[in-house]
Amino acid sequence: MEVFIEKENNVTIARFVGRLDTPASQEVSKSVEPILEDPSGTIVLDCKDMEYISSSGLRIFLTIRKAAASKGGNVIVKDINNDIRQVFMMTGFLNLFEIQ
Amino acid sequence: MDKAEEKKKVFRVFLVLVAAVILEMTSFIQFRALYNTARRAAQKKAEHILITSRYAILDVVEQAEQAIRDNMWIAQWCLQYPDSLASVSARIVENNKAVSGSTVALVPGYSRKFPLWAPYAYLSGDKLAYTSLATDAYNYPQQPWFTKALEKGEGYWSEPYLDEGGGNIMMTTYSKAVKDRNGKDAAVITADISLGWLWEHVGKIDSYNNAFSILVSRNGLLMVAPSDSLSMKTYLGDLAVKMEDKEHFRELEEGMISGKAGEVTIKVKHDTFHVYYSPISRTEWSMAVVVPEKEIFGDVWQMGLMAVILQVVGLLMLFFILRAMAKSWVDYQKARDSEEHMESELQIGRDIQMSMIPKDFSFPECPDLDISATIAPAKQVGGDLYDFYMRDGKLFFCIGDVSGKGVPASLVMAVTRSLFRNISALEDSPKLIVEGINRGMFDMAENEMFVTFFCGVLHMESGKLHYCNAGHNPPLVFTDHVEMLPVLPNIPLGIEPGVVFEEQTIRLHYDDAIYLYTDGVSEAENMDHDQYGMARMQAVLHERRSAQEHLNAVMSSVRSFVGEAPQSDDITMLFIHYLNHKQRTDVMEKHLILHNDIQQIPQLAGFVETIAEEKNIPQAMIMSLNLALEEAVTNVILYAYPEGTDGLVDLEAILRDDCIEFILSDGGKPFDPTATPDADITLGVEEREIGGLGIYLVRQIMDSVAYKRENNRNILSMTKNI
Repeated sequence: MEVFIEKENNVTIARFVGRLDTPASQEVSKSVEPILEDPSGTIVLDCKDMEYISSSGLRIFLTIRKAAASKGGNVIVKDINNDIRQVFMMTGFLNLFEIQ
Repeated sequence: MDKAEEKKKVFRVFLVLVAAVILEMTSFIQFRALYNTARRAAQKKAEHILITSRYAILDVVEQAEQAIRDNMWIAQWCLQYPDSLASVSARIVENNKAVSGSTVALVPGYSRKFPLWAPYAYLSGDKLAYTSLATDAYNYPQQPWFTKALEKGEGYWSEPYLDEGGGNIMMTTYSKAVKDRNGKDAAVITADISLGWLWEHVGKIDSYNNAFSILVSRNGLLMVAPSDSLSMKTYLGDLAVKMEDKEHFRELEEGMISGKAGEVTIKVKHDTFHVYYSPISRTEWSMAVVVPEKEIFGDVWQMGLMAVILQVVGLLMLFFILRAMAKSWVDYQKARDSEEHMESELQIGRDIQMSMIPKDFSFPECPDLDISATIAPAKQVGGDLYDFYMRDGKLFFCIGDVSGKGVPASLVMAVTRSLFRNISALEDSPKLIVEGINRGMFDMAENEMFVTFFCGVLHMESGKLHYCNAGHNPPLVFTDHVEMLPVLPNIPLGIEPGVVFEEQTIRLHYDDAIYLYTDGVSEAENMDHDQYGMARMQAVLHERRSAQEHLNAVMSSVRSFVGEAPQSDDITMLFIHYLNHKQRTDVMEKHLILHNDIQQIPQLAGFVETIAEEKNIPQAMIMSLNLALEEAVTNVILYAYPEGTDGLVDLEAILRDDCIEFILSDGGKPFDPTATPDADITLGVEEREIGGLGIYLVRQIMDSVAYKRENNRNILSMTKNI
């Protein structure tokens, strides 16, 4: 699992590549710390190349979402595949994020 | 009447004739024996009569002779005094009851004083009287009793004569010469005896009704005869002249007069007489017993007649019995012919019925099936049915039991079977087939019969069995155990039109089987009216065998249970053994052992992948299974084992044909993930808890999740249907 974070003006784009399973989440939670430090503006979680997500991955997503909410930020989840969409649906995450 | 009938009649008559000849021959021999016996009996009887009569006569004769002997010496002594001779006569009469008169008559010229001297003493009434026989009129020296006595020199019995002076009593005189000291004939001494008593002794024969005796003197004079008009007047020779059967009568006359004994049969008019004769010594009389043949052989003839009548009656009866037997034999044959006819009709019925029922149990186009069926009707044609056939990869089958037996039941059975074939050709659903048959039965003429019916449609590819039971015995289904197929309580066919039947479905797997039967099996009764029952049936079916062997085993078990008892109901069975290899339930197990390290989690993806390959699982499910397993395993890693300790997590996957069971176990501290409350997914961002999603996802993805603690291990089993 790799995370590529790009920040341009007010928009932070985090691109997830690979499987966001539990061990990966441990790394990813460190990788996304810069985002959590400044959660204002728009945060785009690009999931185009994310194959899989576990509850620990979801937890990262939720942490980002909560942080953004506290600073008036906006989180957009982009290009999730059908399997992940299914997980989002099961967990009620579809209602918590703006999905593009 | 045909020739055979004519022949039988002739044979019958011949049979009776043979019987008659045999009977008559035996009867004739018997009759001859009886005749001879009767003849000998008559001879004996006659001899007896003759002997007793002779002794009676001789007794009297002896008395007279004795009286003379006793007084002879006195008479000799008195010769010198002729005038005392009267006292000798008187003494003889007085002392001898049989003697009614006596004289001692001097030989003329023996005494000079009394040239003719014959003083006669006799009983006149009770008193003794005297007279003299030396009269010119009588001229005693010329009388036979006088001359013959002298002539013979010994006693002489005179011819019987009627005592004209003494009341016409038949008399006879015994006379004997008296010699003087010089041996010269001096006088004749006599004793008269009355023969009146002879009637008493001789005339009547008690032992016969119509027999009689005759007594004949030495000259053939009838002394005693059946008719008074003949006695003492007629000679046997005179009678012979008048007789038709002269020859035999002469023989009798000669025999009697010559003093012989013998037997003569004489015909007089229409009657035949058997005459037995025998001489009476001393007096030179002869006596005969005359017995009518009727008397001798009356009984014999009567018995013979009876026998003949009985024989005729018997023969007639024999004839009628034979005729009746012949008739009843003809009736029997007719009845038997019609019975045979009926039986052959029933046999044809059975053949037609059996031809409706499939007997070829092989399906070359479908090797995944071992099917067998049997039907044993209680009567020639039965009301049970079964049927099966293959169409479009589906096995259509049914079993049914028509209420009642015999021809009516078989007709309903035939109708039901053809309805099944016609409707199932168009419909795949057993519910619609059963409803269609039920409707069809009401289109027929009204009848009181109903049919319990089970209809099944087995999809050979998938093993799915759709079935509809209309009041029939629940079939048995064989999986890894034997149980009754669950059936809804639908009513039998033919009771109510337009009834809605419910359909059910189960899934058969490789090597599963279904066994259908009618109550003729379970309710087969033995001599004690005990029923065969389900338990015995299930015990026999317990072993795994081929379909045909199963049915043979049940049938022979039923037959040995029932024993001699007659089969009370049709016995019908159908056994379907599903052998589609694609539907094997062989359990495949996959095993994965992980350490309690989060870094081991990626291995789960590969594990799920291998399972997916085995079970051909769609991509979407692969991911969700992976997710659920990851969440469950993570839970164990994070919570069961304290941080820093090493522990193993054991994941086992049991791959069934329709589900996958995952068993996750560990040796950590007790931890029941199912006890944690579900995350509330409806909450907003701020309220939403960070944790708690893991077990929630497991529950969402898996179809069932269960936790148990066993042998100090946490065991979480999760099942996912596929």
